[in-house]
Amino acid sequence: MGEGNGTAWAGALSPAARYAETGGASLTWENLTAVLPGSGGRATKKLLQGLYGYAVPGRIVAIMGPSGSGKSTLLDSLSGRLARNVLQTGKVLLNGKKRRLDFGAVAYVTQENVLLGTLTVRETVTYSALLRLPSSMSKAEVRRVVDDTLNEMGLRECEDRPIGTWHLRGISGGEKKRLCIALEILTRPRLLFLDEPTSGLDSASAFSVIETLRTLAIDGGRTIISSVHQPSSEVFALFDDLCLLSSGETVYFGDAKLAPQFFAETGFPCPSRRNPSDHFLRCVNSDFDDVATALKGSMKLRAEADLDPLLKYTTSEIRERLVDKYRISDYAMMVRSTIHEISKIEGVLEEVVKGSQATWFKQLRTLTRRSYTNMYRDFGYYRLRIIIYVLMAICLGTIYYDVGNGYTAIQARASCGGFVSGFMTFMSIGGFPSFIEEMKVFSLERQNGHYGVAAYIISNFLSSMPFLLTMSWASASITYWMVKFRPGFSYFAFFALNLYGGVSVIESLMMIISALVPNFLMGLILGAGVIGIMMLTSGFFRLLPELPKIFWKYPVSYIVYGSWGLKGAYKNDLLGLEFEPMTPGGDKLTGEYIITNMMGLSVSYSKWLDLAMIFILLLAYRITFFLVLKVKEAAAPYIRVAYTQFTVKRLERRASFRESLAMTSLSKRHNTPHPMAIQEGLNSPMQIGDINWTSITSSSKGFHNGLIKMRIPNRMSNRSLNHIIKMSRTNPTKGKASKGAIELVQNSSFKI
Amino acid sequence: MKKGGAVGMAPQEAAAAVGQVKAELEDVGKAAGRAVAVASAPAMSPLSETLWREKAAVEFLGDVSARLAWRDLTVTVALGSGETQAVLEGLTGYAEPGTITALMGPSGSGKSTMLDALAGRLAANAFLSGTVLLNGRKANLSFGAAAYVTQDDNLIGTLTVRETISYSARLRLPDNMPMEEKRALVEGTIVEMGLQDCADTVIGNWHLRGVSGGEKRRVSIALEILMRPRLLFLDEPTSGLDSASAFFVTQTLRGLARDGRTVIASIHQPSSEVFELFDRLFLLSGGKTVYFGQASEACEFFAQAGFPCPPLRNPSDHFLRCINADFDKVKATLKGSMKMRFEKPDDPLERTTTSEAIRRLISYYQRSQYYFVARQKVDEMARVKGTVLDAGGSQASFGMQAFTLTKRSFVNMSRDFGYYWLRLIIYIVVTVCIGSIYLNVGTKYSSILARGACASFIFGFVTFMSIGGFPSFVEDMKVFQRERMNGHYGVLAFVISNTLSAMPFLILITFLSGTLCYFMVHLHPGFTHYIFFVLCLYASVTVVESLMMAIASIIPNFLMGIIIGAGIQGIFMLVSGYFRLPHDIPKPFWRYPMSYISFHYWALQGQYQNDLVGLVFDNQDDELPKIPGEYILENVFQIDVRRSKWLDLSVLFSMIIIYRLLFFVMIKVSEDVTPWVRGYIARRRVQHKRRAAELAMVRTPSLRGYVVDAAELPADHP
Repeated sequence: MGEGNGTAWAGALSPAARYAETGGASLTWENLTAVLPGSGGRATKKLLQGLYGYAVPGRIVAIMGPSGSGKSTLLDSLSGRLARNVLQTGKVLLNGKKRRLDFGAVAYVTQENVLLGTLTVRETVTYSALLRLPSSMSKAEVRRVVDDTLNEMGLRECEDRPIGTWHLRGISGGEKKRLCIALEILTRPRLLFLDEPTSGLDSASAFSVIETLRTLAIDGGRTIISSVHQPSSEVFALFDDLCLLSSGETVYFGDAKLAPQFFAETGFPCPSRRNPSDHFLRCVNSDFDDVATALKGSMKLRAEADLDPLLKYTTSEIRERLVDKYRISDYAMMVRSTIHEISKIEGVLEEVVKGSQATWFKQLRTLTRRSYTNMYRDFGYYRLRIIIYVLMAICLGTIYYDVGNGYTAIQARASCGGFVSGFMTFMSIGGFPSFIEEMKVFSLERQNGHYGVAAYIISNFLSSMPFLLTMSWASASITYWMVKFRPGFSYFAFFALNLYGGVSVIESLMMIISALVPNFLMGLILGAGVIGIMMLTSGFFRLLPELPKIFWKYPVSYIVYGSWGLKGAYKNDLLGLEFEPMTPGGDKLTGEYIITNMMGLSVSYSKWLDLAMIFILLLAYRITFFLVLKVKEAAAPYIRVAYTQFTVKRLERRASFRESLAMTSLSKRHNTPHPMAIQEGLNSPMQIGDINWTSITSSSKGFHNGLIKMRIPNRMSNRSLNHIIKMSRTNPTKGKASKGAIELVQNSSFKI
Repeated sequence: MKKGGAVGMAPQEAAAAVGQVKAELEDVGKAAGRAVAVASAPAMSPLSETLWREKAAVEFLGDVSARLAWRDLTVTVALGSGETQAVLEGLTGYAEPGTITALMGPSGSGKSTMLDALAGRLAANAFLSGTVLLNGRKANLSFGAAAYVTQDDNLIGTLTVRETISYSARLRLPDNMPMEEKRALVEGTIVEMGLQDCADTVIGNWHLRGVSGGEKRRVSIALEILMRPRLLFLDEPTSGLDSASAFFVTQTLRGLARDGRTVIASIHQPSSEVFELFDRLFLLSGGKTVYFGQASEACEFFAQAGFPCPPLRNPSDHFLRCINADFDKVKATLKGSMKMRFEKPDDPLERTTTSEAIRRLISYYQRSQYYFVARQKVDEMARVKGTVLDAGGSQASFGMQAFTLTKRSFVNMSRDFGYYWLRLIIYIVVTVCIGSIYLNVGTKYSSILARGACASFIFGFVTFMSIGGFPSFVEDMKVFQRERMNGHYGVLAFVISNTLSAMPFLILITFLSGTLCYFMVHLHPGFTHYIFFVLCLYASVTVVESLMMAIASIIPNFLMGIIIGAGIQGIFMLVSGYFRLPHDIPKPFWRYPMSYISFHYWALQGQYQNDLVGLVFDNQDDELPKIPGEYILENVFQIDVRRSKWLDLSVLFSMIIIYRLLFFVMIKVSEDVTPWVRGYIARRRVQHKRRAAELAMVRTPSLRGYVVDAAELPADHP
């Protein structure tokens, strides 16, 4: 320590002052602590313990640490995306002021690349720009912004290549990651958070990603904070500041170049042929203790005990020494004085407009176009299904070929109608996986506030319409002409529209199911079960008058599209026709007689009314879908708030939180991600959308758009805690449920 | 060791086993000590010795170490167009017992191809020239002679670590080996791989949280070293693991090597600690040797070639940085788009392009002493003819294999919620719905059609729901494929075990839901009628299962499998005689043969007879005479009443057998015939092309891209 370091720090600070005046964002955090209160029998966990640090424009801060050390918790708490059941205390200041950082004020690049695989790079960026940039911008302006962004992220070379799906080879992992960053910097945020941008990339791609980030930091004067897991030597050399965590405590914060020096001073110098970051992680990763124990227990290595000098100490010892040393070191002092200095600079941060600035219609138009392009290009979405439908229609047509007017034809016509309305619509399930992929993109963009739920649902309906119409029209015409149903264009049109209505209703049903059950397999089984039951109550397998009155007839048979579809189809086909009687020579059977006596249906109202009912059902299902999405968004914060209240209550009974605790990883992120596992086929198919199966914490992490921050001052009395609880009980939530809940908690924390 | 009480082991036996293992461990310790002292004659652990004595059937065990040498190894791949690409070019090297050799290189440099070539697992359209010698003899290493650990851990998620290993032991160890010894071997392997702490934890699947990634990888390795192979190949054993787990895995590998084994592993970006554990390094770039020799001397080599490793840098990172041509692309992209800052003008790599560096390194290596030493050593190894090692495959009898597999598969099915339990719940829910809709169907006039519809819905839709088990079955198939590739057991044992283990669950499911349905709907009363109905349901569900298995063996893709399965069932249902009466079905194709192939047809024919014969139904009006069931069968449902319903049932059961046979044949075909055809086509194409004298040698990004479907490629490799 000494003069040399001092100048290094000074060097680090000067850009801060410069950029703060030009709208740069300096973030500081002091005494940041995050606690996960235990539920049930689990103990309370300290995720972060009194962290200090800063991030200044023009520099990249790398948050490093072994898995479970609190990297992502720190990132989440700095970006205001902390899971609602985690209590956060301490000060996080942006340009010296307390500010809300969620909802688009800062950019946050998640670890998973959620992109529509069929779009090209340029299309992806352009659609995103159209969705979010002000509608007043001209086409040329938008184009310029897109061009600039592509240039900046080095994506010009691959701009016309598709991103890639299971049947389409696309851009590389590094390019995907850079594309994700490009989407986030479209709105020119000053502050950029990244969650492990290099994980899963090879060294060259990782290097390209971090090098791009560096350009963003230096040329753009942006402030970048990124968590990173096991960077290679080249990548590590690109970071400016290093925040090394272990079990939620700071092992080192400061200039990355000075970190080896700190380790050497503490007595753990980095060997010359070693990647410093590997060395740091080796020193603080207590997993190595387990490894050493396990190795000692097993039979080898007794002759090679001196292989690793670090094996002399256990990692927990090393960690203790490092943490203690850091706490009293000059490095820690420098950090505090730097924080102090930064918070004195009264930066002017232009008020970032959150979410989207585009008008609703513009959003709708863009979304519809994007969704249409995606559906058109994704083979599995509709095109495969159209082929299957046509094949099925041909099968059906040949089996019922020229059905005629015999006595048995009555039954045949009915069962043909039943099969069309039952099984043909059943095949809609095939689009489920593609739809789940699209839902993932939706939930991410929704969470970033790019557009509203209504715009999404309407756009989905509009863009799918051409495909569904083609599908039903093609299969209807094949079946219709081959089976020789009642001739006449209006009869054919009714038949086709009926099929279209049915397929659309089933689609909407599957959407509702996918919103409720994001797990692919469960969704498929549930969908099949529900459609099966619907088939059973639609009046073909069991005639409507014979259905048990309770439940099955009222209400099930009325809210099932099949009963309306069949009624309409029978009327359309049979009314006005005459059939041979069972025994030759008897009176011919009229269609009306068959419908009223054999099917037990009434002919008192028109078949068009039945068709209208299907479309009303379609509307109702779409509205239900909308409500389900809304309720899901709205209810989640309530559950969290209730949970937090409960925990606060528990905490006040307890003297201190400090009864902890082994740090284990809260996130499952280090398990191999299964992005498109289902479609790759050979990977585990069960993992699609396994959000529900992860623990509460990881599933809630940044998954919903409403975010709550519990800011509880350091020395919190029981009184103030009670105050929080009272506030949250008495305050009526107003406006949007989620927003209300946030304000509630935040207001209370400021008033204390 | 503290959890010595293994599954199904009596306490005192367990204690004995533990004691034995402990004693052995101490011996091993001494042996390892000797191994280090006398590096030229690597020692073996007593466990290994027992097994090898068994195998070699000699009193004094000779040198069973594996010395692998390869000279001028070149692999060319035939592309679809008939062009060939050289994936590996003239590689020379060797691997000695007691050492661990790392194959390193950027992605697409041919690491995995080289590993496949050495292990004799090259795809059919890849041609190998040059020699691979094991102990001085031409080696045939496929199907289990050497252990090969693949990159993905295909393990059965519901078994514990110990169960996984011990089932595998029983599948492969000889029958006459006493249980004690097998148990000791399993315990020994668990200790050797450092899996004691998680020995009783389940592996984990989509709904069960299990062991960590590193532990999973070690279980995969443990399974392969169970038979104590002398030669061990590993494909990227550390990929996807965090640094501590990667270190642990590599450390165990080093331990295995020190036990006198020859270990060869391909590896991608090792961390500093991991890299230090390797003895030899084979560095590849674009299929050419950049360096082969002691891992510790590689730094020196790079320095001599003009690319010294800077301080505070992981040597392996440095090597890969020097030979990864992707960095050129990255730099070009970055330079084109932004103001590059040249921070280290003193770095030689900043002054030249990577491709230039690769060229220089390769030509430098060809002239260096490392190359000559390696060649010399290989020649030397080729002269010494050592023991023929043809271990491998399973030594257990067919009966033992089938028994163990059945047991394992049964345990898996009973623990995996998604396999049968979930379906049981769904079946019960669906049958309760059906039962309540057709509650007390009676013998009214309208009941005639209702009974028909009810039967057709049960046999059509309820069997349809069997599709829900498809994903679990695909998972099973993956495990099977891995084990089959390593020669753990035969196809027949697998097919038989799968049939047997599923039987109790299917019987449970169909009997429960069948009974519910039967009594709620009040189908034809009488015990034989009930039994027929339930048996018929059981047979239909089993047929669907077998059908889905046959589909899964051809189409391992989950989604496609489900769509195709659903389509086939839809068509079967259409021709079953309910939607269209049997006489009305168009004769060509649909009636003959489709409706006779359709299992729905036989099930419905049987069930209609079972249900209606002997019943009397009301007519439309009360004054009209009642209708006997036989009349309905013949005139309404158009069913041949002369054929016994039991005949229909037996047709269903024979269909089960046919589909299982089909499944067996499918696997055999995809195993033997398909690769042969592929290779044949590739050879023909190449010959054709050669005659046209157009031999274009282009660098391939990765061999795997041509061998497997593009969808299987890891998406994150550029």
